[in-house]
Amino acid sequence: MIRTDLPAKVSGETLFGMDLGEPGMLWGALVLSPVAHGRLRGLGFAEARAMPGVEAVVGPEETDRLLAGHTGDPERPVFPRDVVAYRGQPLAAVAARTLAQARAAARAVRCEIDPLPIVPDIESVFPEWPGSGAGEHPSVIAHVRAAHGDLEAEFRAAEFVQSETYRTNGVAQVALEPHACLARVEAGRWLVRTSTQSPFSAREDISSILGVAEESVVVEGTWVGGGFGGKAGASVEPYALLLAASTGRPVKLALNYAEEFLIGRSTLPSVVHLESAVRGGRVTGRRARLLLDTGASLPGRDFATGYAIGFLLGPYRVDAFEVEGYAVRTNKPPFGPHRAPFAPQCAFMADSHMDGVARRLGVDPVAFRLVHAWAPGDRTPLGQVVGPFGMIECLQKAGALLATWRKEIPYGGGFGLGVGCGFWSTNAQAGGEAVVRLTPTELVIEQGEREIGSGSVVRGLPAVLERVLHVPAEVVRVSYSDTASAPFDSGVFGSRTVAGLGGAVEKAARGLSAELARRLGSTGVAHLSVDGGGLFATATGSRRPVEELLTPQEIGAGGLRVAGKHYGATGAIDDARVSAGSFYAYTDFTAAAHLALVHVDRETGAVKVLRYAAFHDAGVVIDPPTFRAQVEGGVVMGLGSSLTEETLWSPEGRLLNPSLLDYRIPTLGEVPPIEVHAVPGHLGAGPFGAKGLGEPPIIPVPAAVANAVADATGVRVYEMPLSAERVARALKLLPEGGEER
Amino acid sequence: MPAGSTRVNGAPVDLSEVPDDERLLDTLRWRLALRGTKEGCRTGDCGACTVLLDGRSALSCLTLTHEVEGASVTTVEAIANGRIGEAVRDAFIAEGAAQCGYCTPGFVVALTGLLAERRASTPVSDLLEEMGGNLCRCTGYGTIGRAIVRAREAIR
Repeated sequence: MIRTDLPAKVSGETLFGMDLGEPGMLWGALVLSPVAHGRLRGLGFAEARAMPGVEAVVGPEETDRLLAGHTGDPERPVFPRDVVAYRGQPLAAVAARTLAQARAAARAVRCEIDPLPIVPDIESVFPEWPGSGAGEHPSVIAHVRAAHGDLEAEFRAAEFVQSETYRTNGVAQVALEPHACLARVEAGRWLVRTSTQSPFSAREDISSILGVAEESVVVEGTWVGGGFGGKAGASVEPYALLLAASTGRPVKLALNYAEEFLIGRSTLPSVVHLESAVRGGRVTGRRARLLLDTGASLPGRDFATGYAIGFLLGPYRVDAFEVEGYAVRTNKPPFGPHRAPFAPQCAFMADSHMDGVARRLGVDPVAFRLVHAWAPGDRTPLGQVVGPFGMIECLQKAGALLATWRKEIPYGGGFGLGVGCGFWSTNAQAGGEAVVRLTPTELVIEQGEREIGSGSVVRGLPAVLERVLHVPAEVVRVSYSDTASAPFDSGVFGSRTVAGLGGAVEKAARGLSAELARRLGSTGVAHLSVDGGGLFATATGSRRPVEELLTPQEIGAGGLRVAGKHYGATGAIDDARVSAGSFYAYTDFTAAAHLALVHVDRETGAVKVLRYAAFHDAGVVIDPPTFRAQVEGGVVMGLGSSLTEETLWSPEGRLLNPSLLDYRIPTLGEVPPIEVHAVPGHLGAGPFGAKGLGEPPIIPVPAAVANAVADATGVRVYEMPLSAERVARALKLLPEGGEER
Repeated sequence: MPAGSTRVNGAPVDLSEVPDDERLLDTLRWRLALRGTKEGCRTGDCGACTVLLDGRSALSCLTLTHEVEGASVTTVEAIANGRIGEAVRDAFIAEGAAQCGYCTPGFVVALTGLLAERRASTPVSDLLEEMGGNLCRCTGYGTIGRAIVRAREAIR
């Protein structure tokens, strides 16, 4: 068996946030703004309150009464008071005896809103590239800029300048389980069971939004039905807690799937301008400018813009550069982090651009990228030293396989091969703590996360412990708890779980090993083994049953507990290169190169991916089956955003395709054979040299597909996803422009 | 309809108090506490709510409970009681064909129905194509495809 959570999942015993229920509970529903921008004059609750089964309707005024004496973060009000900023913004919440009653009452709430002019998209703010002073524009909520070297000189000396504009579109989360929780308020304590990627940051968010003390909030995670960033922090919990406080009863609140699409945290569109000065077969200067649609707000603003833009230059050396980014506020729901937030889009643009320059030079696109790829010890454009990093090896292997596949496919006929590169940074500086508890018969990992699907908790954490103590998986168990009793951890996001929380498990396990060795009369390390159902500890020739090494007090207390903490160090950028906003320093560099074989239908523009290979520098692979499964999953999600996945917005700020019928994710029969290769040799900062792998597999996919399409057709598509319609336009099968823009 | 004429996982159930417009998905999950059948989109697009009606796959979110009066309903909780369901369950575990697990009950039930309906000699590519009504966002379908191959072999 590969994973211990599978038998219960396969037999339907595993319960998720959506499955929460208990006797006497009420059902909640949200009242969502029907307009994208307007001045809120009032909300009419009388009709809704009189409807059958309705127990509470809570809006801004009721919230004030329920939270009297508490002051929440004014930047994050539970409900807006003056201005509605996007369609779908929660304005009030209803609790009723049945879900149908709650939803009917929510529809009956009268929303009196005076419409205001809408900012639907980037183009309506900046139809042309903004000049200096754009940072002062009222729609710009963040501006970042960094530069280094003599860029003007490089452009003057260039043999040619490649200048391109790219566009990307919004990608929805599409975790199969919508956001869902069950809340209760008891004796001044705010208790919520919820499908979350990060119980502790959900607690922090709830505390901040409601203005209640963090110690009074208890979050218990459930099994999570998919989390790709959309379930990090709080989402529906504050509303459910208010309804519970208002009624004195437990309240279940879940988004339906249309709401999930609308406010479940999509990424949003961008426009990017890339310019390269090319001389002597190299890109010597690069200018990158980003306009990012952030919707009604962008958490972390400068940070997020500065984070995204760092990926726009790709993992490539340049002599001189300038990057500038603007976060443009629009009347869409707030931008959300989706698996490697915005990095696949950046890689699509950066690597399409590099591929295009290589083709213009008439050189091999892979060889061209090898000329520029960061090697360990190089500096990023922002001046950070690149640590252990296998980009060159990944590219070499992808290039070699491309040459093999090239011999196997017919030339012409719409077939094409492309390579995409991507890099990522494990968010290992986000800290975590864990306890390893040893009993005479088992090892228990006490920790604060829940499994979101990747296997990083159920399989990754035990794999670390097994490696330290040399124990078989059968005697290792992960325990789950709530934020009141579990050790703190930052969250299952940022590809950090094995590298960060796993680092805490490793330290705890090493502490346990040393303590057992000491009890065996050794100063070294101890290992454990299983014999006749009991655990034995061994150190330098001495072997005893664990039962004899534990004190009666320890056995009475459930075992010997050893704690470990992991708070990793972050890297440093050269602040002298930053002239506006703030940029993100990477922690632990990971690299990937992907190879796609596509066929492009020359009549319809439809792109089919026929074969695929992924090469990943993931440091030391802790658990090969989980590694393979994670890469396959990331690649296929990336194929969706490369080819079909795109949120469509009307000029009135309405999401036009909030359903799985109209927003197409890949299905079983469409997925190509995928080769997965680990490229060893560059140790990460995680346990045993592991690097994060949750996000990296999605990053190079759109670039690989786009470059394969360019190879197949000789035509570059400058916007993702590469839908059949977009490819057909690029191939002049359809008129340019058309209805799209 | 006489009470008790419908069977869920082999046991008779009384549906006389179920409102006319209630979906089978909600009856199973909230009246019968069979929450292994998952609620995803509620619009028939994701397959997470798949059950067997007299052995054939059906989407319980698009099925009114009273439509199944007199039928035999099998949910994931009882799917492994049959030979094919057992093979499917074992294949999913052996291949690690689940990550978050939310779509998994739907896959297990749908594949069991499909293998019962189609001969085991059905080409794998046909089986993969026909399972396209079940969506998974985590696995990329690699492990699921391998589980389908394994289950097909096991029942041949």
